[in-house]
Amino acid sequence: MAPGQTEGTVSSHPHPRSQLSRGPLRSLAAVLGGGVLGSAARAGIGELMSHPADGFPASVLAVNLIGSFLLGYLVSRWERTAPDRRWSVQFWGIGLLGSFTTFSTFSVDLIMLVDAARVGPAVTYLMASLVGGLASALLGLRLGGGAT
Amino acid sequence: MSLVILSLAGGVGAVARYTVSGFAQERAGAGFPAGTMLVNLSGAFMLGLLVGAGGATSPWVIGLAGFLGGFTTYSTWMVETLRIGLVRLRPLAFINLLGGLVGGVALAALGRSLTNG
Repeated sequence: MAPGQTEGTVSSHPHPRSQLSRGPLRSLAAVLGGGVLGSAARAGIGELMSHPADGFPASVLAVNLIGSFLLGYLVSRWERTAPDRRWSVQFWGIGLLGSFTTFSTFSVDLIMLVDAARVGPAVTYLMASLVGGLASALLGLRLGGGAT
Repeated sequence: MSLVILSLAGGVGAVARYTVSGFAQERAGAGFPAGTMLVNLSGAFMLGLLVGAGGATSPWVIGLAGFLGGFTTYSTWMVETLRIGLVRLRPLAFINLLGGLVGGVALAALGRSLTNG
């Protein structure tokens, strides 16, 4: 996004001054820092639970379920306790947990399993990711006291 | 070394997700998480392209894979699906869930077929 577009987005906000004073660069730094750490954690778990290219992607399943639980918990905590702490949301939520979990690898892993004619593992991976991810996020939201 | 490239690229991917999804969400309006849908579907398509192209795991390939890992997000998709009312059986929540799943798989497959062969 060009700097001009960012300004347009910010100035179209009903309170442009308060938005600007929070510092767009600080927001980007928080997302970047969280994103680096989240990606490193996902890569680290991937090393520990490595599998062949057409094998069962257990590490991606694990990070997606853990990340969904933690994000659900944090989102509901923020809603009740600190709705104005944008920096924590950007670092922990958008940056760290956003990058720790991954949708692109999930999609590609799924077609790799189907391609390798491993229908059983593909169905297991799909159901565990969807039902498990929703259950994890729901548990996190409820534990944090958030509404669903 | 590849861990460093992957992590840094993932951070850049997160910043790209934050700006692109924020930009799209502002235009789509509240009610439906269009921003997350956009980054997830486009990211799945791009990873499909990358995987289809195959080749050696050069630093560039590792960097692009890392970027797309950080650009797309699973946790936000799950939490947003619940927040827009999956438990209350709201149709939009099912559209978000099934649209993301079917769209992601279809676009990843399409991307891979475009560069494969």
